[in-house]
Amino acid sequence: MKLNIESAPHIPRPVSVQRVMGLVILALVPALLAHWWYFGPGIILQVTLAVIFALAFEAAMLTLRQVPVKPFITDLSAVLTAILFALCIPPLAPWWVTCLGMFFAIVVAKQLYGGIGHNIFNPAMLGFAVMLIAFPREMSNWLAPRDIAIEMPGLWDAIRYVFTGGLSASQTTYDTLTQATPLDAIKNGLHQARGLSEIRSQPIFGDFGGMGWEWIANWYAIGGLFLWRKRIITWHVPAAVILTTIAFSLPFYLYDSDIFLSPLQHLFSGGLMLGAFFIATDPVTGASSPRGKLVFGAGVAILTVLIRQFGAFPDGVAFGVLLMNSAAPLIDRLTIPAPYGGKARRHG
Amino acid sequence: MVNETISYVENGKLCQFHGGLILEHHKCESMARPLARPLLPDYLRVSLRLNRGNVSKPVVDVGDKVLKGQIIAVPDTPRGVYVHAPTSGTVMEITHRPVASPDADLAPVVCIRPDGKDQWTPLEPVEDPFALDRPTLAQHIRKAGIVGMGGAGFPTHLKYQKPAELLIINGAECEPYISCDERLMLDYPHELLTGTRLLMHAAGAKKAIIALEDQVGGVRSVLEKIIQEKGYTGIRVVKVPTIYPAGGEKQLIKVLTCQEVPSGGIPMDLGIVVQNTGTAKAVHDAIILGKPLVDRIVTVTGDVVEEPRNFSALIGTPFRHLLKLANTRHEKLHRLVVGGPMMGYAMPEDGIGIDKTSNCLLALSEEITRHHGPLMPCIRCGECVNVCPQELLPQQLHWYIQGGDLEMARQHHVFDCIECGACAWVCPSQIKLVDYYRYAKADLRYLDYKKTKAERSRIRHERHDRRLERLKAERAARRKRHARRLRDPEKSSQVIADTLERLKAQQPSAAKNDSMKTTSQDKRQAAVADNGSSNNTGKDNALT
Repeated sequence: MKLNIESAPHIPRPVSVQRVMGLVILALVPALLAHWWYFGPGIILQVTLAVIFALAFEAAMLTLRQVPVKPFITDLSAVLTAILFALCIPPLAPWWVTCLGMFFAIVVAKQLYGGIGHNIFNPAMLGFAVMLIAFPREMSNWLAPRDIAIEMPGLWDAIRYVFTGGLSASQTTYDTLTQATPLDAIKNGLHQARGLSEIRSQPIFGDFGGMGWEWIANWYAIGGLFLWRKRIITWHVPAAVILTTIAFSLPFYLYDSDIFLSPLQHLFSGGLMLGAFFIATDPVTGASSPRGKLVFGAGVAILTVLIRQFGAFPDGVAFGVLLMNSAAPLIDRLTIPAPYGGKARRHG
Repeated sequence: MVNETISYVENGKLCQFHGGLILEHHKCESMARPLARPLLPDYLRVSLRLNRGNVSKPVVDVGDKVLKGQIIAVPDTPRGVYVHAPTSGTVMEITHRPVASPDADLAPVVCIRPDGKDQWTPLEPVEDPFALDRPTLAQHIRKAGIVGMGGAGFPTHLKYQKPAELLIINGAECEPYISCDERLMLDYPHELLTGTRLLMHAAGAKKAIIALEDQVGGVRSVLEKIIQEKGYTGIRVVKVPTIYPAGGEKQLIKVLTCQEVPSGGIPMDLGIVVQNTGTAKAVHDAIILGKPLVDRIVTVTGDVVEEPRNFSALIGTPFRHLLKLANTRHEKLHRLVVGGPMMGYAMPEDGIGIDKTSNCLLALSEEITRHHGPLMPCIRCGECVNVCPQELLPQQLHWYIQGGDLEMARQHHVFDCIECGACAWVCPSQIKLVDYYRYAKADLRYLDYKKTKAERSRIRHERHDRRLERLKAERAARRKRHARRLRDPEKSSQVIADTLERLKAQQPSAAKNDSMKTTSQDKRQAAVADNGSSNNTGKDNALT
C-alpha cells in the first residue's frame, strides 16, 4: 500500500489566491456602479479594455518566463489590477492610454519583478503614474458628473471616442462633455490666486468633496468595510490613512482655510478612499506587521496631502503609495513585533 | 510574579491569546463509542527512542521471554526513561525500524511476539507516596517510563527538578478529531485526580488546574463531584474557549494565568508545570498500582474509518491492527496521520507501532486532504499574521527562509514558532509554511553547533599553544640554571653529588622501567614542543 506522506495541515482550508482576489473585485462593484451612474458607461468600456490588455500581457509574459500560464492567469490578480487602473483614469481616455498603462502595470511593475507576490510597486498605481506623467492632457480630461453634465455620453459615444477620438454622431463637442476634476479645479484656482471659498462655489463641488466623487468615495469605503469583515484586509491601513489625513491637514486648514483644503475635502476627493481601502492595503507592496501598516498608511496620507497642497499634481495618492512602497521593506525591518513571551524581554 | 499567578487563578479570570482558529470539532464521531481494549496483535514494535533523541539501551536479547511490565531497556543519561515490555511474550528482534516520529525515521525498536497470557511481572506499588520527598517521587515516575503523553514526549521526571507553584493538567486537546483526553477524563476521573494530586506533591504545588475545552460535555461535573466528595483541596476544573491552539502549553498558560512564558523559556520560569491528562493517569497507575507505562488511549478516526473510537492500546501496537478493529476502508486510505490534522505527521506505512506520544490515528481519504487551489507564491495577505498565536510574522519568515537568509529568520523570532500550523491552514497560496520553519530551525541549530564547536577548538588550540610555550620557557630556564651552577666549580661538585644521591634513591624497584618511560615522555614532549614552536612562528607570521 502506498501512503501519501505530505506534511500538515492534513485538512486544508478552502481558500485560494483566486478567492482573495475575487472578493476584492466584488468589493469594488458598488463603486464601479456608482462610477457608471455619475460618469456614464465609459468606465465599463475602460474596465473591459483594461482586463483584456492585462490578461494578454500577463499571458505573454508568463509564456516568455516559461512558467505555467493557467494557474497564474486565473488567479484574478491581473483582472484586479486592470479594474483598479480603469477606475483611476478618465472614462473616455483613449484606448492606447489603457493599453500602455496595462503594459507598465503588468509587464514592467509585475512580471519583470517576478510576477505575483514579487512586485515592489503596486502595478495599477505604477501604470497610472507613468501615464499621468507621460500624458497629462489625456489623463486630466474628466467628464462632468451626471447632476451638472449638459449631456451624458452613451455607450456608443464612449466607444467611438475611446477608439477614434471623434464624436461626430450626436454633434456634441468634446469640450461640452469634459470638465476638470475637483482637485484640478482647486489646483488651477489656487494658481490663479483665487480663494478656496470662491473655488468651491463652482458647481462641480459637492458637500465635502467633488460632486459624484464623494459618493463614489463612500462606496469605496463600504466595499472596504466588506473586505475588513471578510478578513481580507485589516483595519490598520485604512484607519491610518484616513486619520492621518485628517490630523495632518487640519492644522493647515485651521491656519488658512482659503489656501488649504479641509480634511473632509481631502478625504472625499480624488483617489483617497480608493487608496485607503484598496491600494495602500495591497499586501504584496505594503508593510507586514500591524505597526508597520500603521506607519505605511500614515506615510501615504502625509505624502498625499503634501503633494496635493504643494506639489505639481492635483492628486497625490498614487505617488504617495508608490513612494511608501519603496519604503515598505525598511518599515518592515524597523517594526518587527515582539512575539509571545518576548515583550518583557524587550521592555526589561 | 508568583503571587500574581495565584491571584489570577483564584479570581477565575481568563485571558485570550493572539490569533488562533475556530475549527470543526469532529470529536463526536469517536466519542460516540465506548473505550475498547483491542485483542493482542501479532507483534508489538516498541521504540527505544524518546522524541528528543534520547535512546535507551536494550537489556533483553532476541529469544528472551519477557513479562508484561518487565524493563526491556534502560536509559544511559539522567534525561532518559525506562522502557517496559507492554505484554508477556518473546523478543523476536531488536533492530532499526521506522517509528512514529515526525519523519518516521529509523530508530532502535524491540519487537515482541505476545504469548497471549498478558502476564504481569510482580507489581511494586509505592507505599504511602504522599510521604515521599519530591526527588524520590520523580525517580519513581522515571522508573515507570513516563513521558509527556500529549505529543511532545518530554520526559516527565525532568519537570520536577525544581518546586513549582501551580500544576496545570492539560485536558484541552485543541486539535480536531482527537478525543483521547476527553475519553480518559470521563472513564478514569478517579485515576486522573489521584494522578493530579501525586503530581502536585511531586511539584510541591499547592494548586492545580484541570483545563478543559468548553465544548466537552459532562466532564467538568464528574470531576467536580469527585473533588467535593473526596475533599481534595487546591484542584480546580476550568473550561477554556475552544480556539485552536488553546491546548498548546504556552497558550493555555496565557489563558489561565494571563502571563506569558518568556521567549526561549519554559513554564517553570513562571513556577508552572503543565502535564497532559494521560500523563497524570499514567502517574497514578505507576505509583498507586505499580504498573509502568505500557498502554495509552488512542483515538482512531478519520473519514475512511467506519467505526471511529478510542482504544486503550498497548505501546507498540501496529497501526494496522487498530485500523482494522475500527473498520477502516483500506482501499480509500490515502494518508495515515499520527496526531491531529494540524500538527500530526503522515506515516509511510501502517506497520509502525504506536508510541507513548501517539494520541490519535487519523485515516484520511484523498478528497479531504486535497488542496483547494494551486501552490502559488506568497501574496503576503497577512492572514497568517492574524492567526499566529505566537505573534510572529509568518509571511516574513517564509520570505527570508526562501531567500536563504536564516539570520533574518532568527531576528524574526523563528525559534518562538510552536509549529501549530495555523498559518499554513489559512494560507491562500497553500504554502506549507511550517516546513520552512522546521528547516530553518534545524539549519540554524546546526550552524550554531558548528560555530560553538569551532570556537571551542580555537580556545583549545590557543591554550595548547600557550602551554607549550610555557613548558619551553621553563625548560630553557632550567637549563640555564644548571649550566650556571655547573660552571661554578664549588657548586658543580655539589650538583653532581646531589644528582647521584637522587639516582641512588630512585634505583631499587622498577627503576629501569621508570627511566625508560621518562625518556620516552621527554622525547614526545620535545617533539610536541618543536611542533608547537613551529606552529607558533606560523601563527605569528599570520598575525603580522
